[in-house]
Amino acid sequence: MAVEVMTLEVAEASAKGLVAIGAGLAVGMAGLATAIAQYGIGTAAVGATAENKDIFGLVLVLTVIPETIVIFGLVVALLLLF
Amino acid sequence: MTSISAAGSATGPAPYIYVTTRMRVRKSKLLPREEYLRMLNMSLPEITRIIEETQYKAEVDELSPSFSGIDLMEVALSWNLAKEYQKILEITPGRLKMFLQTYLRSWDIQNVLAILRGKSQGMRTGKIKEILIPAGSLDRITLDRLLAEDSPERVVEALKGERLFPVIEREFPAAQESGSFARMENELYKAYYADLIETARAGVKGGRAFLEYIRLEIDICNLQAAFRLRQGPLPEDARDMFIEGGEVKPDELVRLSAAEQPDELIETLQQRVGIDALGGLVDQIRGDAPIHEIENALTRLRLDKMTRISKRNVISIVTILDYLERKRFEVMNLRALARGKESNLPAERIQSYLVI
Repeated sequence: MAVEVMTLEVAEASAKGLVAIGAGLAVGMAGLATAIAQYGIGTAAVGATAENKDIFGLVLVLTVIPETIVIFGLVVALLLLF
Repeated sequence: MTSISAAGSATGPAPYIYVTTRMRVRKSKLLPREEYLRMLNMSLPEITRIIEETQYKAEVDELSPSFSGIDLMEVALSWNLAKEYQKILEITPGRLKMFLQTYLRSWDIQNVLAILRGKSQGMRTGKIKEILIPAGSLDRITLDRLLAEDSPERVVEALKGERLFPVIEREFPAAQESGSFARMENELYKAYYADLIETARAGVKGGRAFLEYIRLEIDICNLQAAFRLRQGPLPEDARDMFIEGGEVKPDELVRLSAAEQPDELIETLQQRVGIDALGGLVDQIRGDAPIHEIENALTRLRLDKMTRISKRNVISIVTILDYLERKRFEVMNLRALARGKESNLPAERIQSYLVI
């Protein structure tokens, strides 16, 4: 039976890999959460705009607000990577 | 049914959110109470002008070559209502559409009865056509076909295959003999509500809110009938006039309508809708207010309760129905206003007929 020995290089490389996975998860999951939030708001925004075109600008802003969630995820990812 | 739920799950709740938002925006565009109060002090041409400036513009423009004055306003209002209902039916998705179609069948009853009554009294086709509102499953073309028939019997025959047909076929001979369609109307509405309850209970998602509202509508409708029955001696077939399916049972309602004092009726009403909701209605009932005022107050109560249900179930059929009913009463109010103004009634008198 071969005994695996973890050298310093291997440990460093896997730590980097785990950081990269963490960063990916942070952006990916925050992105999904944003999508879910924007789904509801966007649908309602389209409905409201269909009835009253003047409020397009306002509902656009409302639709974009959940975008902050994914920005938080991005910031965490960047902090992890650099 | 399976195709409906499959379509629903493939797209998620998006179409439902979309359509209920549109209904809420439309509801916010309805005329506010203050506007009616302002209109009460205006003359008929001024009221027509205001209506022309609101959502009714397209219809008024379209119909102005063929009608004028009060007729123009009435026809424009009912055209607008029918168009609005058809449009909403078009944009409503999946299971909500199924509920809505069932609910809008009450217009079929109204239209068919108008045709039958008109035909049996020998009215002109054009005159009957003016009061039809093709908002249900019988569209303008079908109604025109029914109107073209020359006798009530032929109209009934032409209805073969429609959902209303079994009840109409059963009740028509007696109705024609007595010359009154009231019993037939009761039976049609009973079948309609039984149908609605069945649809709501069919196990389709969203049925619970719909059922809650239908039971409220049945109860308020029955209570209105009970108040009306109190006005005179109780007829023998009073039980037949109440609709099954509400929380207050028909036998109970017959007993309440027969009682000398309205106390028990008020108590039942309080139990059903909650004491806070009643407000000044109790004093009105005790003070022997005219029946149309009590009826209007009950209708207002129903609309308020409906709004509450729709706020608890935001993405549900009740939100759509809330708008549809309020729109219907807007049209009815405007019509009452115009008719009242034309007959030179005092403003207070007209106001007592408005549901605002």
